[in-house]
Amino acid sequence: MKRRNFLRLGALATAIAIIPSQLSAIDFRETKPSSWAAHNVDDAIKALYGDISVIESGITITTPKLASNGGAVPVNISSSIDAKSVALFQDANPEATVAVFTIQEGAIVDYDIKIKMGKSGTITAIIEGRDGKFYAGKRTLDVALGGCDG
Amino acid sequence: MANIKIKAKFKDGIVKVKALAKHEMTTYNQAEKKTGDRNNANFITHISATVNGKIVYEASTSQFLSKDPIFKFKFRGGEKGDTISMTYVDNKGNSKTDTAKIK
Repeated sequence: MKRRNFLRLGALATAIAIIPSQLSAIDFRETKPSSWAAHNVDDAIKALYGDISVIESGITITTPKLASNGGAVPVNISSSIDAKSVALFQDANPEATVAVFTIQEGAIVDYDIKIKMGKSGTITAIIEGRDGKFYAGKRTLDVALGGCDG
Repeated sequence: MANIKIKAKFKDGIVKVKALAKHEMTTYNQAEKKTGDRNNANFITHISATVNGKIVYEASTSQFLSKDPIFKFKFRGGEKGDTISMTYVDNKGNSKTDTAKIK
């Protein structure tokens, strides 16, 4: 079993070496499958980044205070932090993780995305900085009409 | 009809992109309600944008994006006239790509 794992690791390393650098797409669904099944935000963060301590500053999350339609809640995340990845969680749906963005070097963290929310809840964004620190931002909003059937 | 509608505008060194991906985005619960089988859920799991062979935007996503989700983002390193190409993959393995010119 150990040897099999080792071989797989070797095959993976070769595969990574062959792929040109500009195609270094990371699919977090494949690399971190457990974080997509986690039912609360803390578990999801743990599954994605491990045991981390976060600094609660530096991220702005903009949403309407009251979303009339939970099926499409506009969310904006912006930050001036030099980020490696941005993860978006919420606690209104059965699973916590919504999306994970991989940030290229020098990119601008200013993302708009429309999400579903089953009920009123809190959106949490975690930024993994290139300095190795983690930053968090939170935003609580009301949803008038749940949008994803629980 | 295009699967991904893309609008990209260049201004002051920054390209602003607005993209609408046509997709049902069925969650597990919705699939169970409608078809009785959770495995009929279908949603975009990964979306990326490239310009000149370089990835400028990349997101792994879950079923909690809205139906026909809109993605807005900005990046540096594009020019007027460059082609931006966006690809999404859903959890059934279907992949769709569309391109647009940066204006």
